[in-house]
Amino acid sequence: MNTAPFAIKTWQVFLPLVIVCLLVVFYHGLYGNPSYIPPVIVNTPAPDFIAPELYEGKAVRLLDYKGKVVMLNFWASWCRECALEHPSLLEINQRYANDPRFVMLGVNYQDKENLAKEYLEQHGNNFQHVRDFSGKISIDYGIYGVPETFVIDQQGMIRHKSIGPILGETYTNLIKEVIEPLLKGESLNG
Amino acid sequence: MVKMVLIGLAFIFIACDFSIAAPLSEEQIQKEVREISKTLRCAVCQSESVWESNAELALQMRAIVRERVIAGESGDEIRAYFISRYGDFIVLKPRVRGINHIIWFGPFILLGVAGFLIYRRIRGWIAERTPTAPSEIAPIDDAGREKIAKALQSYNAGEK
Repeated sequence: MNTAPFAIKTWQVFLPLVIVCLLVVFYHGLYGNPSYIPPVIVNTPAPDFIAPELYEGKAVRLLDYKGKVVMLNFWASWCRECALEHPSLLEINQRYANDPRFVMLGVNYQDKENLAKEYLEQHGNNFQHVRDFSGKISIDYGIYGVPETFVIDQQGMIRHKSIGPILGETYTNLIKEVIEPLLKGESLNG
Repeated sequence: MVKMVLIGLAFIFIACDFSIAAPLSEEQIQKEVREISKTLRCAVCQSESVWESNAELALQMRAIVRERVIAGESGDEIRAYFISRYGDFIVLKPRVRGINHIIWFGPFILLGVAGFLIYRRIRGWIAERTPTAPSEIAPIDDAGREKIAKALQSYNAGEK
């Protein structure tokens, strides 16, 4: 019974394979973006809400905008990144000001009414804002922090979530790859 | 027949009676909220549960947990709600499903593999160091004898 002098055993193949797999997992964990958490809420129905409008206090309901592309932006006056992205929001809303299929809605998060109003006076405003008193709307949308932006299609489905300020490439992609296709009734998947 | 109907009605009555949950006392509500909040991660904190954290978001999450406990939802239902909003990240104990199996069972598998390798190595060392008993040595056959004779011959030739 002769055994080849350098015969490779099963475990000798299996063990390095396991080690390589583990290294890949660790590498992914160490060098991946730690702040990236896959959004589970995208492609699910947008949670409806009724909230008071910031200035007049009248009730605003998300469901009333069904049939339109809704851009929902969560912000706060104490948030520096919100101030950075604010001109982009004004530009986007200005761009679609005459398009009845588009609406932008701000959700004021963990803030004081007077500070929110001061912020808008300082940075300018051309769209409607509601207040999230109890944080219920924010939790319904899985908000971690501000700014976060959602785009909801005409059928009331969340089609896009953006964490962080809408600037540069994010701004361009949001218009070209999200808002424009959705206004045309195109699917974003694919 | 009447007896059967009465027994049936009694069962229905008992079942209905148990299905209508009695309102929870404040103490029970607080206990439930504490237990559930301890299993939820504060989304804006470093490894703190919703129960431990005093961040505004954690307080708001706790308020929602309380609201849902009062509404009669179970711990699993409340956790499922938060998972549907934030993903598996929001629970401190990952669910046993999909890729999470690696987290749950990976260490045990690695421990098993390491144990097996150590066992094999130790067995090898023991075998190398234990002299074989004469009774366990197989008797030499003709080919073996011939081989030994040849080896001795060549050894003797080398000596000369």
